[in-house]
Amino acid sequence: MQNKKTIFVCCGTGCQASGSMKIYQTMQKIISKLDLDVEVVADIKKTGCHGLCQKGPLVHITPQEITYIHVKTTDVQEIIERSIIKDEVIDRLLYFDKQQNAKIQSKNDWSFEKKQFRIALRHCGCIANDSIDDYIAKGGYQALEKVLKTMTPQEVIDEIRKSSLRGRGGGGFLTGLKWSFAAKAQGDIKYVICNGDEGDPGAFMDRSIMEGDPHTVLEGMAICGYAIGANRAFLYIRDEYGLAVENMKKAIADAHARGVMGQNIFGSGFAFDAEVVRGGGAFVCGEETSLIHSIEGSTGEPTSKPPFPANQGLWGKPTIINNVETWANVPVIISKGADWFASIGSEKSKGTKVFALVGKINNTGLVEVPMGIKLREIIFDIGGGIEKKRKFKAVQTGGPSGGCIPESKLDLPIDYDSLIAEGSMMGSGGMIVIDDRTCMVEFARYYLKFLSEESCGKCVPCREGIKSMLKILNDICEGKGQEGDIELLEEIGSMVKANSLCGLGKTAPNPVLSNIKNFRDEFEAHIKDKRCPAGVCKNLTKLYIDQEACIGCGLCAKSCPTAAISGEKKQPHVLDEAKCINCNSCRERCAVDAIRVH
Amino acid sequence: MSEISQIKSETLKIAQKYLPERRFLLAILQDIQRHYNYLPAEAMKTVAQYLNVPLVKVCGMATFYKAFSLTPKGKYIIKVCDGTACHIKGSLNLLSEIETILGIEPGETTADGLFSLETVACIGACGLAPVAVINDEYHGNLTPASLRQILQQYQGGIEDAK
Amino acid sequence: MQIIINGKTYAANPGEKILDVARRNGIEIPTLCHSEALPGLASCRLCMVEVHENGRTQYVASCTYPVADGMEVFTNSEMIAARRKILLALYNLIAPDSARIKGLLARYHVEPFDRLEADPDSKCILCGLCVKACEELGTNAISTLNRGTKKKIGTAFNEPAADCIGCGSCAIICPTQAIEMTEAEGNRTIWEKTFELLRCRDCGEYFTTPESLEHVRKKLGETVGNIEELQLCNYCKTKRAATRLKDGLHLDEYLDSDK
Ligand SMILES: Cc1cc2nc3c(=O)[nH]c(=O)nc-3n(C[C@H](O)[C@H](O)[C@H](O)COP(=O)(O)O)c2cc1C
Ligand code: SF4
Ligand code: SF4
Ligand code: FES
Repeated sequence: MQNKKTIFVCCGTGCQASGSMKIYQTMQKIISKLDLDVEVVADIKKTGCHGLCQKGPLVHITPQEITYIHVKTTDVQEIIERSIIKDEVIDRLLYFDKQQNAKIQSKNDWSFEKKQFRIALRHCGCIANDSIDDYIAKGGYQALEKVLKTMTPQEVIDEIRKSSLRGRGGGGFLTGLKWSFAAKAQGDIKYVICNGDEGDPGAFMDRSIMEGDPHTVLEGMAICGYAIGANRAFLYIRDEYGLAVENMKKAIADAHARGVMGQNIFGSGFAFDAEVVRGGGAFVCGEETSLIHSIEGSTGEPTSKPPFPANQGLWGKPTIINNVETWANVPVIISKGADWFASIGSEKSKGTKVFALVGKINNTGLVEVPMGIKLREIIFDIGGGIEKKRKFKAVQTGGPSGGCIPESKLDLPIDYDSLIAEGSMMGSGGMIVIDDRTCMVEFARYYLKFLSEESCGKCVPCREGIKSMLKILNDICEGKGQEGDIELLEEIGSMVKANSLCGLGKTAPNPVLSNIKNFRDEFEAHIKDKRCPAGVCKNLTKLYIDQEACIGCGLCAKSCPTAAISGEKKQPHVLDEAKCINCNSCRERCAVDAIRVH
Repeated sequence: MSEISQIKSETLKIAQKYLPERRFLLAILQDIQRHYNYLPAEAMKTVAQYLNVPLVKVCGMATFYKAFSLTPKGKYIIKVCDGTACHIKGSLNLLSEIETILGIEPGETTADGLFSLETVACIGACGLAPVAVINDEYHGNLTPASLRQILQQYQGGIEDAK
Repeated sequence: MQIIINGKTYAANPGEKILDVARRNGIEIPTLCHSEALPGLASCRLCMVEVHENGRTQYVASCTYPVADGMEVFTNSEMIAARRKILLALYNLIAPDSARIKGLLARYHVEPFDRLEADPDSKCILCGLCVKACEELGTNAISTLNRGTKKKIGTAFNEPAADCIGCGSCAIICPTQAIEMTEAEGNRTIWEKTFELLRCRDCGEYFTTPESLEHVRKKLGETVGNIEELQLCNYCKTKRAATRLKDGLHLDEYLDSDK
């Protein structure tokens, strides 16, 4: 049928959290009720994440290209009546774009989208996430067919090498080079693994890809299987990612049914099979040797490299592990060619990277941008600037392995090497925007606490080094910091980085060391003046209400859980320090920033 | 049937969905955890026998991975997201509010068995930070005050109200 | 194959680790988790050395890093020494009473941290040797439990170890004497389980538990030539063997098999 209208309801985790499943169900109910007397056929597809989760639930209608945000169940009837039956646009549900100062009809024209370039996320949000038909209609599995019918394994490896694709899981190792090691390794049994453990507490792009476009991951893995001579694959997926596990399992079953997985794929004689392994919940299991031990049914403790998994991995056999996003790039490189891919990005980092842009920023969500883009463009053009017009302080990248990039480096082109030069890391692509209300000491403490629970505990520098550093940071945050603490943190930190067994320990001190480097004055304020400038560390914070600035609206008093604020309407309010527990609820509520830190 | 032999036979049924190979240890334990909301000691012994894996290694697994708990969890499991975005938007304040109301810290269960408290790393709903999930129901943009209201609803027994 | 350590050239064999070559030639590299019988743990991180290879400088654990022809190794650079001091000071926090740790602190002139307090009750450094020994024996009575800073060595459900045979290998191999093993009145207690001790057939000293003997017997199965030899303590076993040697008899495998 021509011009068939399709309604896409975003059912990514972000949107589901704001109730998109109910929208989907209501939508379906109404459509099926109207079915008889309406001519329009609407197809509701459950899609993966569009990216702008904060504005969810998102509904997108084609072919008119209308995107509605914050849709409620009570809007569904109206959407169907006006936008499906009558082709009208409901102004009220459109996105208001601050940069363009206008309501925008289609998500394609949002400023949020304009600087983005989608490869890994190319299908997320525009195909049904549980349909192999949709994937194939968009050209899916053609890359695999091309490889099996027209290329030798060596040619596949050469193509990936030529593209200069680097691993998206953090380290940025050259993917084609790694494959060539496994291809050369002796042995008739080899394995391919997808690292879907995504343990960085500030990133969720792998989840979106696995939920929204599972087949692209499978296709990438099959291509690698052919290239290195492996017939079996494992996808290690965080168990908390229920939808990703479910969609991936269904995708494997559908791929079998279609003959793009199993025996004799595309008549080539090549066989390939995959299975899902649910992760047990341990950040360290994202580390490759640890992940392998976990698949084998043991605790996820890393072992020394060499031997590298490409030579001796799962059950001692040559094994290639790549990240979800890395896999999602592979079919596109094969289809469009290495030269096309290598034309995108910066000199040493080709292609795009997906970032989870979160924190104190207006547009929260997943963004995919060409490597080499300036930080400023991501934060202000795509992200729409800092929330509540506050002051930008820093952006954290690389999660627990990374560090902070301060304001002075806003024009830094973002790629693997520039971030490392700044003492941070690409990591899995978390990008946390921080304003002046985040304490950099507490923020460093947060990551170290996370790591103290997530370190496997096997080797002493990591386990005991983190414990000692955490003890010192806890002291500093509680006002018990001592002269010399900063230097001691630096000393222990550099030993932990050098001596630890695996990547977790080797990068664990980064958040602390980078914050010391860029925000040393904040550490000193805590230690010497017993003062937390951001007003976060409770023992070191005293709040007061600026009598000049207060307009007496009373919002702060309502939000205070201990009734520490009092005052007459329209009169300046006062805060009783004795009752205040420094929860900052009032500060968040005040529209005129009248609540200050001593 | 005694409780112990019942656990044994139930566990065996769960385990037998998998071949008796070491690599399925994690998956079997996950299914048992899902079934009982914790790992009963008897179940761990049964699995050790079924897979021919030393019992102490099963204990090692059960205490290494965060997915497992050796004590029964509450009826409602409150998962406060302490992912980075939620953290800088005040998840610690949510935790201390819960501690005030329910008297439990992360990893603990209330004496009446109603609530367990956990923190989780990013659950991918950063746009709604700070977020908590109570038995699969998401609650976003929380403040200590709004969380208090939500908890009161659960304490009033709203399980069917949703 | 040759490698250079601290400027001098030494012969090395493919498959060997840097530490093997260093030890053979009397070059000092401190270790805590290394045992020739149970190699590869690489958890203590005390054996770090600097390696210059293919134009790259790396900082690696010498106990697990394989040798390569022409590689250059430094065991005592300023960097290594500085980091070793910090690491040893951390060891002092978790095993302040251990003779081995005290010796290392003295040997490398380490000042303990005054900012951080040592835990007087802590002994285990979690090197993993005990678990590996128990695994190797095939008894698997102990394992690491928990993870991260809460990690510890223990038995299943922290109960008296059901599978323990009381052989004491874990306690003997432990570098910091963290595993409590007491012997009194013909009994041995370890992992909260008490065993009766057997006397040596020759000298009459207590030497092992019936459970250990049974374990060895089962493991050796039919191949064991002389059951009686199992019932001797190590000293008397060696003595008999020596006598046999003298008598022109062949020294048999079972001498090593009771390791
Ligand atoms: C502590 C730690 C955690 C990691 N977590 C992840 C993860 O969650 N996902 C991932 O893809 N890679 C993770 N990595 C990186 C992997 O070890 C590995 O380098 C990667 O999966 C290789 O794939 P790539 O080359 O495609 O990036 C982690 C590494 C370390 C040391
Ligand atoms: S560095 Fe940390 S996580 Fe890695 S092996 Fe050592 S203790 Fe485990
Ligand atoms: S008890 Fe001894 S041998 Fe075992 S891990 Fe601890 S220090 Fe090592
Ligand atoms: S000897 Fe312990 S790490 Fe090498």
